[in-house]
Amino acid sequence: MNPSQTENIYLPKLAVLDRVVDDIPEVKTFYWRFQDAAAQAEFKQFRPGQFAQISLFGVGEFPASLPPSPTEDETFFTIRQVGSCTSALHRLKPHDQFAVRGPYGNGFPMKDYEGMNLTFVAGGIGLIPLRSCIVYALQHRAKYGRIQVFYGAKTPGELMYLPDLRAWEKSGAMECHLTVDRAADGWKENVGVVGSLFKRPGVNVPVENTTAFVCGPPIMFRFVIKDLLALGFKERNIVSTLERYMKCGVGKCGHCCIGVAYICVDGPVFTYEEIKKLGEDI
Amino acid sequence: MGRKLTTCTFCGTGCGIYLETAGDRIVGAYPSMSHPANEGKICVRGWHVHEVASSPDRLTSPLLQKNGSFEKTTWDEAFAFIAARLKKIRDQYGPESLAFLDSPRCSNEEAYLLQKLARTIIGTNNVDHGAGVYCNNSLNVLLEMTGIPAASNSIGELERSDVIIVDGVDLGRQLPTVGGWVIRAKLKGARLIVIDSRRHRVAENADLFLQIKPGTESVLYGAMAKVIVDRGLMKLSFIKARCEGYEAFLGRVRDYDLLQAAGVCGVPAESIEAAALTYGRARAAVILYSTGIEARDEDTIRGLINLALLTGNFGHEGAGVFPLTEHNNLQGVCDMGMLPDRLPGYQAVADPKARATLEGIWQARIPATPGVGAGTLFANGGSTPMKALWLGRYDPVSTAFFGDAADALDRCDLVVMQHLFMTDSAEFADVVLPTTAFGEERVSFTSAERRIQIAEQVIDPPPGPMPAWEQLTRLARAMGADWKYESAAEVMHEIGQVIPFYGGASYENLLREYGRQWPCTTDHPLGTARLFADAEIGHSFKFAPVACPPTPAGNPDGFPFALVFGHSLYYWHQNILIKRSETLKREYRLLLLDYPDGFVEINTEDAKRLGIRDGGRIRLSTATGSLTSTARVTSEVRGGTAFVPYFVRQLKREMLGAAEDGRALVPVRVEKEAA
Amino acid sequence: MKARIVKSADVLKIVDLLRERAYEVTAPFCGRGRDSCFDIVTEANRAQVQIHLPNPYYPPKRFVFPHIERLMTVRKENGELKMEPAYAETRRAIFGIRSCDVAGLWHLDRFYLGRDFRDVYYEKRRRNLFLVNVVCTDPARDLGDDCFCLCADTGPAARDHFDLQLMDLGDDEFMAVAGTVAGEELFSAPIFHPGTAAHVERRRVILAEVRKSFRTTTSWFPATVRYVSQGGITDATWEEIGKRCLECGGCTYVCPACTCFTVSDRQVGPNEVERVRIWDSCALSGFTRMAGGFNPRRAVHDRRNRRFFRKLAYYFIQRELSVACVGCGRCAAVCHGDIGMPSVVEMIRRGAPETAKNEPVPN
Repeated sequence: MNPSQTENIYLPKLAVLDRVVDDIPEVKTFYWRFQDAAAQAEFKQFRPGQFAQISLFGVGEFPASLPPSPTEDETFFTIRQVGSCTSALHRLKPHDQFAVRGPYGNGFPMKDYEGMNLTFVAGGIGLIPLRSCIVYALQHRAKYGRIQVFYGAKTPGELMYLPDLRAWEKSGAMECHLTVDRAADGWKENVGVVGSLFKRPGVNVPVENTTAFVCGPPIMFRFVIKDLLALGFKERNIVSTLERYMKCGVGKCGHCCIGVAYICVDGPVFTYEEIKKLGEDI
Repeated sequence: MGRKLTTCTFCGTGCGIYLETAGDRIVGAYPSMSHPANEGKICVRGWHVHEVASSPDRLTSPLLQKNGSFEKTTWDEAFAFIAARLKKIRDQYGPESLAFLDSPRCSNEEAYLLQKLARTIIGTNNVDHGAGVYCNNSLNVLLEMTGIPAASNSIGELERSDVIIVDGVDLGRQLPTVGGWVIRAKLKGARLIVIDSRRHRVAENADLFLQIKPGTESVLYGAMAKVIVDRGLMKLSFIKARCEGYEAFLGRVRDYDLLQAAGVCGVPAESIEAAALTYGRARAAVILYSTGIEARDEDTIRGLINLALLTGNFGHEGAGVFPLTEHNNLQGVCDMGMLPDRLPGYQAVADPKARATLEGIWQARIPATPGVGAGTLFANGGSTPMKALWLGRYDPVSTAFFGDAADALDRCDLVVMQHLFMTDSAEFADVVLPTTAFGEERVSFTSAERRIQIAEQVIDPPPGPMPAWEQLTRLARAMGADWKYESAAEVMHEIGQVIPFYGGASYENLLREYGRQWPCTTDHPLGTARLFADAEIGHSFKFAPVACPPTPAGNPDGFPFALVFGHSLYYWHQNILIKRSETLKREYRLLLLDYPDGFVEINTEDAKRLGIRDGGRIRLSTATGSLTSTARVTSEVRGGTAFVPYFVRQLKREMLGAAEDGRALVPVRVEKEAA
Repeated sequence: MKARIVKSADVLKIVDLLRERAYEVTAPFCGRGRDSCFDIVTEANRAQVQIHLPNPYYPPKRFVFPHIERLMTVRKENGELKMEPAYAETRRAIFGIRSCDVAGLWHLDRFYLGRDFRDVYYEKRRRNLFLVNVVCTDPARDLGDDCFCLCADTGPAARDHFDLQLMDLGDDEFMAVAGTVAGEELFSAPIFHPGTAAHVERRRVILAEVRKSFRTTTSWFPATVRYVSQGGITDATWEEIGKRCLECGGCTYVCPACTCFTVSDRQVGPNEVERVRIWDSCALSGFTRMAGGFNPRRAVHDRRNRRFFRKLAYYFIQRELSVACVGCGRCAAVCHGDIGMPSVVEMIRRGAPETAKNEPVPN
């Protein structure tokens, strides 16, 4: 749930780091929880696709997607080191304190997709926000039709959550198609952009009664949208999570606006139909 | 809650700005509607002046180097230590082994006292300011040709100019308020001519944009002069009545050729001709040029002043010549005599009568031999090796792009640094003296339009720092001199006695309206908005004949690009105040973030032809060596040039055979670097 | 709304009434030249409070949305982080706020207190604010060259959203109008007398005269809303506007209806950090730059486009029930390149594709 109206919307709550796990180079997953149990319980009501603001006092605050499904036990962030705030986070050790505000944003309406096939298309670290939806769907498997993941990265070493993906595929609950721009380390699977996976022999992407989730760098997004529309997807059945520079996360500071939308409160999840009506190019 | 009208201290415009205070903090800033230099407008730096918080790494106590680390000490101990060491070094190595450098951001009072200390107590003329390497050529040429090394008119007159030439300065980034005046003048009907190798914001508004090959400006001005003379557009009445040297100048002008200039400058002949005719036919035309890091050489400045003389563009509204100063007090520190060969007020050190007059006022001897400047110092030139260096708010290790400051500092037995924060140069300092910051002291600065203005004290300094002028007073006393200045106003009182054109600039007078433009004497206490307005008997302008330089050899085969070093566009990101404001840091350091390993700028068309992507690796090869860098592809840069920002120093050193001062163009080949 | 008459000589006594009710009163004072400013009224300066003077340039939005504002301090005590929000709850009265600025505050109310979240810092300041609006009646002294409140329908007399409104009726009389219960409560003071129909008529006549005295008019304002909302403005127009922009941020900072800010952490002691928010501007290049380098509004004309879209698009007017431009003219006064709202509206009008398409062609 969003923080209640009478609270100070800029005041984060104290959180503590439990453990840190390395993922791909420059990316780490941080397992954490709020110090206050009630705050933690309330936070766990978050929806897939929402985000939170992480405070490293003295350095700053930055938004982070929530990769766990709310139905998982632990809360964690997966963060790439790219600026001063993320670098400060990367320097934290277990038991260190920091602070978190959230959850914010509209999230994916997973209940609306019940009964549909789910096709996830991700590039690079774009898999992070979609992970929440994938795990949620897997944990409510009976409610959804076919689940497919199409995922690509620059090199095999940059594929996120690879052990999880393999395990989920192995369990038979979902299909997983991976690709890289440049092969290495004995890579035997597809080489090429994510869109090239749709045309791979043996790959069949359902279009009827299917929702396509797209998340990745802007250029990948443009090409994948073209591919999906060519396959026959309707614009309102393609959904994405948009990213912008954020400061307040609560629709006041203005940094994350695209056209008529504040990404932090009107988004970050939008259908492609909505994206076209925003009034500004993404 | 309170507010005070003060002067912004970033660039040479000297905008009127209000600082809003609450308790002991500056909590807001906004422009003055009525200040004649800016009339209600300021730039992004002015709007964020208040963001620079009092941060914990502010220096709060004098520091003394002891066994590899700094230890806090008292002011008295610091001054005693410095006094003793200065004396020792002077006695052992002679006064020529000491040098006193300050920053063009220093106030008039501290600059004046620093050169006075150097000259009368130490006995050396080795005084200079950090921008001397760039601006002193402008100074010398102006003294030679107009007699006054400063802007001839006022900034507010720009809106009444018919024709404005902007040469070699990106006003939008360096002096935005002046850029605003230029744009608004254009909107009111003025013709705007921009001469620059880069297409900057103001250039986008130009009627004529001469995107010139770097280093060829003097040929352009010579050709323009030729056009004006050939068409008979010169103002003969003005020339006859007020100028000398016209015949010799005409002799040299005949050497120029419009078509040849077009080839050398890389600008269409019609454009050069159009620029010349536009300028020549104007009722009131003005030329703005920069004395910053992208400064023009002496011949170029002679060339543009020649044009102004040729057309009689001095003395009336909207006309004149503006040497623009990108640092707020560049004009002031030069006025104060922080120059190795000039005394306060610009009299030559070598002039015995000038020295005698000053010695009379100061009651002390002044050395007769001109001193050595920062450029020579850091190149380890000069006949005497430097053994002691005073750095007044100056951080040459970070900001000097000439010579090797670190090396020069390393060789000294004594380095004294006055500053707000620890700087890169502090690594070499023996003594560090904390100074007060903008808003914490009341001192004066002189803007590019000769306006002497007060910057007010609006809050108390944190406990510890002392105004720089007060430090110099105490040090002088520690060295036995009888200096008695109780306030910066008292220092200005003496300045008025020493520099005739500051004679009426008492603080009381300066505070009455919006400072005063010099000459401000007791006879003319309201100051002088426009120079040369009365055709005074006895003052004459001097033409400076500039020989047409030989046509440079074309680029050798295989090296079709010109490698150009240095650009002031990115200069501000080294500024300490900008580094400490979150917003300004974000705005001025974006390029450093986007290209963390530095970059070389290539024109968009060239990049397309060579298959180079923005952010891609490129290889630069000269006849003698090559290295790689990251490409920044932009349409701002002139085709056929590769621009290296000044801070990519390692590139400069590694380009074997590259010209030291960066002015001569190095022929280079640019190609995409294989992955 | 209830109205009363007060003698000109008694108008400043309203300041006293407010101070008696424990308000810190800020009022306008003349500065050097055309400069004017809001300052706290004290015994020493009370006599210098001005009714008719240029509208202070530094917008009064800073009393509810400061140029720099501390949000919280965070200290490390015994290895534990301790956060402490910093609230400002001074009871403040602004005596002499103009109608355009009253509309600006209403717009900020809609923005900061409405929608998904309430901004508690804004709320505390706003709740403690008493507004005495002064109507612009003197074309020479009150109106600036750039004022266009008529076109934005916010002035010269605010219709609502003030506590008390004062209007100079001439003949040594002012009309006082109560906009809220708090304002009406002041009417118990003896300086207020009942008015007559003649007073109301005088008000009507004066306002009609003032409306003719504006030196800047942009009657094309509503059409601009339509063009901006429909995306019907050519790229060439935005590029022309962008060429004149020197990216100073001034238009945003002085605008009574601009709300953007950035947040910054600063060290203020060895163990203490403060988190502040500072006015920010979408005019600046770094406003949208993301870590990693992608900047969706890198070009200056994209940023100019953004500003006027946010100010004028129908979507936002509908969402906030208030236009993000109050016609105060400050953006025109502060702009280096003369691309304040009035100029931009004119440039949009000139550059409208419909205009070009339908130009008469002789022969």
